[in-house]
Amino acid sequence: MTTGPDDLHVLLGAYVLGGLSDDDHRAYSEHLRTCTQCQAELGQVSGLPRLLDLAGPEGGLHLVAPPPGAPIPLMKEPDDERVSTLLTEVGRRRRRRRTLASVLGAAAAVALFAGGAWLGPSILRATTPEPPTTHVTASAPGSAASVDVALVTRGWGTQLDLECSGLPTDSPLTLWVVDNYGKEYAAASWRAGGSGYTKLTGSTSVPTYEIKSVEVRTSMGKVVASART
Amino acid sequence: MPLDEEAVAEIYREHGPMLRRVVWRATNDANRVEDIVQEVILRVWKQAPQADNLRAYLITTARHLIVDQHRAAGRRPQEATLTEIAERDSALDQALDQVLVEEALGRLQDNHRDVVRCLYYQRLSVAEASLRLGVPEGTVKSRAYYAVRNLRVILDEMGVTR
Ligand SMILES: [Zn+2]
Repeated sequence: MTTGPDDLHVLLGAYVLGGLSDDDHRAYSEHLRTCTQCQAELGQVSGLPRLLDLAGPEGGLHLVAPPPGAPIPLMKEPDDERVSTLLTEVGRRRRRRRTLASVLGAAAAVALFAGGAWLGPSILRATTPEPPTTHVTASAPGSAASVDVALVTRGWGTQLDLECSGLPTDSPLTLWVVDNYGKEYAAASWRAGGSGYTKLTGSTSVPTYEIKSVEVRTSMGKVVASART
Repeated sequence: MPLDEEAVAEIYREHGPMLRRVVWRATNDANRVEDIVQEVILRVWKQAPQADNLRAYLITTARHLIVDQHRAAGRRPQEATLTEIAERDSALDQALDQVLVEEALGRLQDNHRDVVRCLYYQRLSVAEASLRLGVPEGTVKSRAYYAVRNLRVILDEMGVTR
């Protein structure tokens, strides 16, 4: 079958996907040389074949029949219980509490991250309004630094309420906030009292949702406690 | 603030199933799916509840969360070279794109998807597709045109821009 000149634009689809007869292919290639509309449209869709290839030789799950009896665990519609869990969390996020894990140094802090201290979603598992608190104790005897931080969303940024114990008393301490882009901001600095127990409030203009992690460091830059939000 | 709650519930109802599929297929970890999905929705709600392209925003946020977790679960940064990290991230990006392309194909109209299957994946000619699908060749051609256009729009909506 051949195609009249008025129908030529439409051949773009089969030109990109493949399957045009030699005559149609020749006719459309010719048309493409002068039709700016088709040139522009082709520019938008010419990357599609490479993307379609990502879905595998058969086009992935929507193009091949699923094996019989295969479980489709995630096709369930969201139920009201999940929505209400989510809404509970919405309220809670106006005042979030996070517990910073105590560590001995930067390397240990990394190990802690690697251990899966991703605190965000664990909050969501709570069924009661009381947020969970995770205390991680350093393995070295005598060091039990623990920092509990509440991130409070404010119009100007984020307020950080800290309750610390077991912090080193031999150095000034600084609370650092790291945002999603990796930029660091000092949000408070203090010196731990003799008992190592301190309660203080810091602040930063970084919005709560942009805070990726929070760290307490000594003046030498040693990380004594850190947590991801 | 009831507006917040309505917005979140609406995002969840409208985009939850899609997000859940994407996250599940990208992480292969059914236990984490619901957590990640909810976290994504909460973050997006905070950042851009009125975003024009909410779907792309949700998927981009999910991508960041998954990549972050992926890194956190991996080796210590000082033991991995930058090249290794880049390779791992690009492999993950590719896995996510794969999931998104499959998702996009699933969102195509049935008769458009049939044409993509015949012409692209099964390498049939327009004439063969016409026989296979029982429609005139002209219909195959016009469906191919709209399939391609719509697929591009759906992928753009998902933030797959390449
Ligand atoms: Zn044209």
